[in-house]
Amino acid sequence: MRYVVWTLLLIVTVISLVPFYIMIMMSTYFTEDIFKGLPLLPGSYLLDNLRTVFESNFIQVYMNSLVVSVSAVLLAGLTSTLIGYSLAKFHFRFKRLLNYFIIISMMVPTQVGIIGYIIEMKHLGFGNTLLPIILVWAAFPFGAFFMVQFIKDTVPNEVLECARIDGCSEPGIFFRIVLPLIKPGLATLATLVFLWSWNNYLLPLVTINDSRWYTVPVFVSNLGIVHRTDYAARMTALAIATLPVLLVFLAGSKTFIKGITAGAVKG
Amino acid sequence: MTGSSLPQAAPRVKRTIRIWPYLFALPFVLAYALFQLYPVLYSFYLSLNDWNGVGAKTFIGLKNYIDLFTKDPLFIKSIYNTLIIMVMTVPLLILIGMFLAYTIFNLTRGRRLFQTVNFLPYITTPVAIGFIFSFMFDWQTGTVNQLLLKLGVLDEGIYWLQGEWTSRIIIALMVLWRNLGYFLAIYLAGMTAIPQDVYEAAKMDGSTGLHTFTRITLPLLRNISVFLVVTSIISGLQLFDEPKLLYGGWSGSVQVGGPDNSALTVIWKFVDDSFISGTRFGYGSAIAYSLFLLIILFSIASYRLTAGKGDER
Repeated sequence: MRYVVWTLLLIVTVISLVPFYIMIMMSTYFTEDIFKGLPLLPGSYLLDNLRTVFESNFIQVYMNSLVVSVSAVLLAGLTSTLIGYSLAKFHFRFKRLLNYFIIISMMVPTQVGIIGYIIEMKHLGFGNTLLPIILVWAAFPFGAFFMVQFIKDTVPNEVLECARIDGCSEPGIFFRIVLPLIKPGLATLATLVFLWSWNNYLLPLVTINDSRWYTVPVFVSNLGIVHRTDYAARMTALAIATLPVLLVFLAGSKTFIKGITAGAVKG
Repeated sequence: MTGSSLPQAAPRVKRTIRIWPYLFALPFVLAYALFQLYPVLYSFYLSLNDWNGVGAKTFIGLKNYIDLFTKDPLFIKSIYNTLIIMVMTVPLLILIGMFLAYTIFNLTRGRRLFQTVNFLPYITTPVAIGFIFSFMFDWQTGTVNQLLLKLGVLDEGIYWLQGEWTSRIIIALMVLWRNLGYFLAIYLAGMTAIPQDVYEAAKMDGSTGLHTFTRITLPLLRNISVFLVVTSIISGLQLFDEPKLLYGGWSGSVQVGGPDNSALTVIWKFVDDSFISGTRFGYGSAIAYSLFLLIILFSIASYRLTAGKGDER
C-alpha cells in the first residue's frame, strides 16, 4: 500500500515537473533543434540564446515587470491590511455594510470594467505608462477579505487594549503592533499578489501599445518575430522570467502555507 | 512593509478612536471606487451605446444585448465552450486536489517537498505553459504523438490542436495542470488546521482510513470546498490565458478561437471584439456584462448547492 501511494505521488509530481523541466531544457537549444525530438538533456546553445534575449530590450521589460509587481504588492498590501484591521478589530456603524461590500466586490471580475478602465486611464493621462497595470491592484478585494480573516484570528484584543491604555496612538498601534503580528499573512498576500501581477497577461495586452512599457508576458510573446520565430530564445526569456516568482515563493513557502491556513481556510 | 517611523502621538481622548476605523477603511474604499467601481459602471453605460472608441456615442438601449443573444451565434458558442471546459476541470480539480492532499497529509516524510514541487506549475507564466503545450501536442514533432507512436498505441498521429474536442481537452489539461498545486495547497492547509485531537478521538473510537476521511475530514473541509468551488467557477468563466496562448499567442498568428472556434471563450471573444479584430467598445461591454450576469448566477447557484441549507452565515 505504501509503495502504491509513493508511486502515485511520484507520477503526479513528475507530471507537474515535466513542462517546467522542458522549459529550462529548451532554453539551452538552437531553435530548429528543439523540434527534432524531446529535449531531455541540456544542449549547448544557452549562451547564444541569452545573447539574443539580452540584445533585445529585455532588461527594460524586466524592470517594468518588477516595478509593476513591487508596486502592486505595496499598494494591495497596504490598503488590504488597513481595511482588514479596521473590520477585524473595531466596532463601528458601517462595519456590516463594509463586510458585505468586500464580499460583493470579490465577485465582480475586473474584466467587466476593463473597457471603462482603459478609457478612464486615457482621460487621466496615464495611457502610455505602467500606471494602468499598477493601479488595478490599489483595491484588491481578495486581499481585503483575506486580511480581515487573518487579523481577526491572529491579533489578540488584549494586546491592542494594553497599547491603547499605554497611550499608543492608533496609527502607532497599527504599525508597531499589528503589522509585526501578521507577518505570515502579509507574506502570503505579498507572494500571491506578486505572482498574479507578474504573470498577468490580459491587462497589459490590451492596455500597453508602446513596446517600451511591455511587461514580460507580453514581451515574450512578441520576441524574435522580426527575423524568425526564435522559440529557444523565448524559452530562455521565460525561464529567466519565472526566476523571481520562484525565489519569492521558495523564500516564503513556509510562511506561505501557514498564511493560507490561517487566512483563506475560513472560506 | 512600511517602516514604523510615525511620530508618537500624545494620549488621545477615547472619543477620537471612533474616527480611526473609517480612516483605516478609507484608502481601500476610495481606491475601489476610483479604479474598479467607476470603470464597471461606466462600462455598463457604454454597453447601452454604439461606440467605436473615437466617434460620437449613439444611445441604443438594450440593442447590444439583444444582438448578442439573437444575432451572434459565436457568443452563444463561446459560452458553451467556456462551460464545457469548466465542467471538465472543476470537479477533477476538487477530487484530485483533495485526494492528493489527503495522501500527502498522511505522509510521515516529504510533505513540504511534494507540496512545493506540485505548486511549481501554478507559478509558471501562462505564456510558457501555452507554448510548452502547443509544442507537446504538435501533430508532427509533438512529444505526445511521438510517444504514442513509439508505444504502438497509434498508427498515425492525432491532430490534437486541430480537433474540436481534442483542443478543448488540451485546454482543460492546461487548466488542470496549472491549478492542481493551488488546490492541493489550500486543501493541505485546511487539513493541517483540523485539530489533531479530533483524529485521535476518532482513532480511539475505532475509526480508520476511509471512514475517518468521509466522516471527519470531509465535513470539516466543507468550507474550503465551497470556497474553492465558487472561486474556481468564477475564474473558470473568465478563462482566457490558456486558450489564447495555446493558439495565437505564440506564433504571432491572429487566428481566433482555435479550430472552428471550439476554443473560443467568452473573454477571448470580448477581447477580440473590443481590442483586436475591432474596437466595438459598446458591444464589448455588453459581452462583459452578460458574462458578469452569468458569473453572479453561477456563483449563487454553486454556493447554494455546495453549502447546503441551514449552513448560511
